[in-house]
Amino acid sequence: MKKKQKERLIKLNINNKEYSVLVEDRDTLLEVLRDKLMLTGTKDACGMGECGACTVLLNGKPVLSCIILALEARGKKINTIEGLTEEGTLTDLQKAFIEYGAIQCGYCTPGMLMSATALLNTKIEPTRDEIKKAIEGNICRCTGYNKIIDAIEAVRDRRVKDKNDR
Amino acid sequence: MIGKRIPRIDGPAKATGSAKYTTDIYFPDMLVAKMLRSPLPHAKILNIDISKAKRVPGVKAIITGKDAWDIKHGFVETPRYPADQYCLANDRVRYIGEEVACVAAVDEDTALEAIDAIHVDYEELPAVFDIFEAIKPDAPDIHEFRLPDLTEPYKNVGGRCANSYGDVEQAFKEAYLIREDRFESQLRTHCYLEPQATVAYYDINGKLNVWTSSMGVFRKRMHLSKTLSLPSNRIRIHKTYVGGAFGGKIDLFSHEFCTSLISIKTGKPVKYVAERDEIFSYFRHGQPMVIDLKTAVAKDGTILGQKVRCYNSCGAYRGSGVVCIFLCWGFLIIPYRIPNLDYIGYSIYTNNPVRAPQRGHGAPQMRFAVESQMDIIAEELGMDPIEIRLKNARRKGEILPNGDTVKNAGLIECIEEAVKKIDFKNKWAKNIEDRKNDNKKRIRRGIGLGISGYFTGTLIYPNNSAAIIKFNDDGTVKCHTGALDIGQGAETIITQIIAEELSLDVGDIELISGDTDTTPVDIGSWISGLTYVTGNAVKKAAIDAKNQLLTSAAKILDVDKSHLEIKDKKIFIKENPDKSVTFAQAIARHIRDYKGDPIIGKGFFRGLKDAEHGPSLKNAKGAWSDSYAFDAQIAEVEVDMLTGKIRVIKALTAHDCGFPINPLLVECQIDGQVSMAAGQALSEEVIMKNGITLNPSFLEYKLPLAVEMIENDYIDIITEEYKKDHHFITKEVGEGYVSAILAAIANAVYNASGFRAKKLPITLKPDLKFLTT
Repeated sequence: MKKKQKERLIKLNINNKEYSVLVEDRDTLLEVLRDKLMLTGTKDACGMGECGACTVLLNGKPVLSCIILALEARGKKINTIEGLTEEGTLTDLQKAFIEYGAIQCGYCTPGMLMSATALLNTKIEPTRDEIKKAIEGNICRCTGYNKIIDAIEAVRDRRVKDKNDR
Repeated sequence: MIGKRIPRIDGPAKATGSAKYTTDIYFPDMLVAKMLRSPLPHAKILNIDISKAKRVPGVKAIITGKDAWDIKHGFVETPRYPADQYCLANDRVRYIGEEVACVAAVDEDTALEAIDAIHVDYEELPAVFDIFEAIKPDAPDIHEFRLPDLTEPYKNVGGRCANSYGDVEQAFKEAYLIREDRFESQLRTHCYLEPQATVAYYDINGKLNVWTSSMGVFRKRMHLSKTLSLPSNRIRIHKTYVGGAFGGKIDLFSHEFCTSLISIKTGKPVKYVAERDEIFSYFRHGQPMVIDLKTAVAKDGTILGQKVRCYNSCGAYRGSGVVCIFLCWGFLIIPYRIPNLDYIGYSIYTNNPVRAPQRGHGAPQMRFAVESQMDIIAEELGMDPIEIRLKNARRKGEILPNGDTVKNAGLIECIEEAVKKIDFKNKWAKNIEDRKNDNKKRIRRGIGLGISGYFTGTLIYPNNSAAIIKFNDDGTVKCHTGALDIGQGAETIITQIIAEELSLDVGDIELISGDTDTTPVDIGSWISGLTYVTGNAVKKAAIDAKNQLLTSAAKILDVDKSHLEIKDKKIFIKENPDKSVTFAQAIARHIRDYKGDPIIGKGFFRGLKDAEHGPSLKNAKGAWSDSYAFDAQIAEVEVDMLTGKIRVIKALTAHDCGFPINPLLVECQIDGQVSMAAGQALSEEVIMKNGITLNPSFLEYKLPLAVEMIENDYIDIITEEYKKDHHFITKEVGEGYVSAILAAIANAVYNASGFRAKKLPITLKPDLKFLTT
């Protein structure tokens, strides 16, 4: 919610849906998602790229939406927490986060899930240390990270087993 | 349902991003609020000129202390400790960042432009930041307040808690060994991930609607009602999800008052979200503490007496400082027998931001001191750290100095089981042996132990919880509870209790929670009381509803109520299970027989049922808690002697929480506390100089990251049980496990390196002696 400056109409592809939205050059992707499109699942916790709560995927890669401009996201595929669920069905990662106790206050959860999703989409069998590294930029004060890492490991194992069983 | 690892019921909402936090509340024509803060640590406000700021286009309201009446508020408001802080500074500012004015405008930029255009004339006053400077006779006066019973020649004492018993002088005369040490705990902060945020909307009906990131809606309503001079029925605190609190969101904050008052003035919704650097620099942190601990022991390690002085800096206003120095006494006297004690705690005003509770609230500071010194004493006596603790640890049924009983305390079992499971004694001795044999060894292992005890809820506003359970026609239920889930899983626990009492599935139960208009009063998610106080209120409501249901079922089945049993939404005759009625049938009959009564169960609960109020903050006398939790925690560390880098590798928590209603949620609480304690032990500190915070961000503050995760193990020591239809005793789990592990880490570092930390965070100097080719 900033003072109006010159705006331009751009198209953003968010969760496989085209949005036309008026943005200012200085608008961050996070501001556009939350303040303009009301996609408030992505959280704003520090506003300076330190905590990872605002993590979204840009062409499949995790980025901090609070420190990239909306303009930079033009022509790219943006995925947010709202797009993880398909037709009301939770992904295996979302289910595991709930089952394993990886969620407490939940404020880091959307960003954490996006980082974990990107990791398991790009790496089939990350080690426990690689998982820790992949979520190193996502701060969580509630869980000590234990059950988050357990949940991601469980999904990794299940996916590997499913693949081998095929 | 009780004792099961039920996943949290708000999991799907939180995992999909659909859970609405205060920061996610938007209204179409919502104003943005920003704060003007004092740039000086101590000054008189001579004049505030808002004329230029008012003319900035888009500014809708500006309020200053003059608009805020002459009403003060405080974390504690008692005759001894009257409220001492205005919602907006009135004639004086006492710390850098104190709120001086609040602007609401159509957007953030406009609000900030107006903030810059406000001109304040200050007359700077001398300031003091260090507690030992502040108590000197020539220190500047931060407040006019004087404690009437203060005999020491100290200035700026905001509170004093003293408790003595026995003959301490005699104990020290008889001592085989006297040990005197000073331990210092740093200024640290909560790091709740959701920023402080409030949306206030005064609607056309004259109702003030508030969404605020808090730890209890009824306490917020009480504070707002008082400071705004609005009756409670005209304020509604709505439920929002809360993105973490850890003690830091219980006080009334200036922005909650200001957004409310501006909405009343403008009739528009007003939103304030704190910037992260504002939170680090100006909001309420935990409490730094200096503890002088003098202990007398007999040759066999028995504690004979202690003389303890605590000094905390409550900041520029009293905050929770006076509670913290009472609690420090409490966390001193719970775990060990201290036959003779001379305790004084001082809470000292300084020109720093105000201090709040932070998870443990005095316990980490006190347990770090006591448990570190316990290891020192054991070594000097040639005992091992377990032996000395078992000798002094509280046993079942012991009476505390205030008259409370520790009942079925499981402390001894906690120590014994933990030591056994991790093979403590062998590891501990081997590390010492390794240290002696190879003093050039660079990477070393250490193991250490600490113990702790914690109270379970006490009396402080709103003191009690109530709950209402309504049956739907089909036998499913709706529960109205004022409980606010701040991440600990309150809603899940409440659901489990109802499911257990009424033999329902989790899916049959819906909660209406944390809303001052639609739910009955609740104690809130703090003072470690929710599961015990609210849980018992909910249980009573469920039993009340069940009794009504059984009354009508008994009529249909034509038997006495005592012969009935419920399962799967049906009511059976115990001796003849083929004969049953459904919940729906019994409810229909109840409505018919009782003039339309659809079955509404009511329950309520308050701890310390015979006490008029909680314990005295002046002398620590009076009942404090119905039940005490205990734990023993062990840390294993790895120390790099060259770089001074310390890593906690493993933690074991053996805990007596009575019984876990949900073991998964208990583990979650332990994980978070072990991590927070490791942060306090090794890296975290809000670094301040002359009232300015030098590291106002997550990464500069250095809280633990995923790569620093500690492998945790847990042992449940079961000392109580859950029985249907009876009041239950649980012991706290939300903040009691952040202390013993802190001391355990310090003791483990000593075991590895021979370095005894007396100051937090533990800083081990790099040593080039360990540089090997």
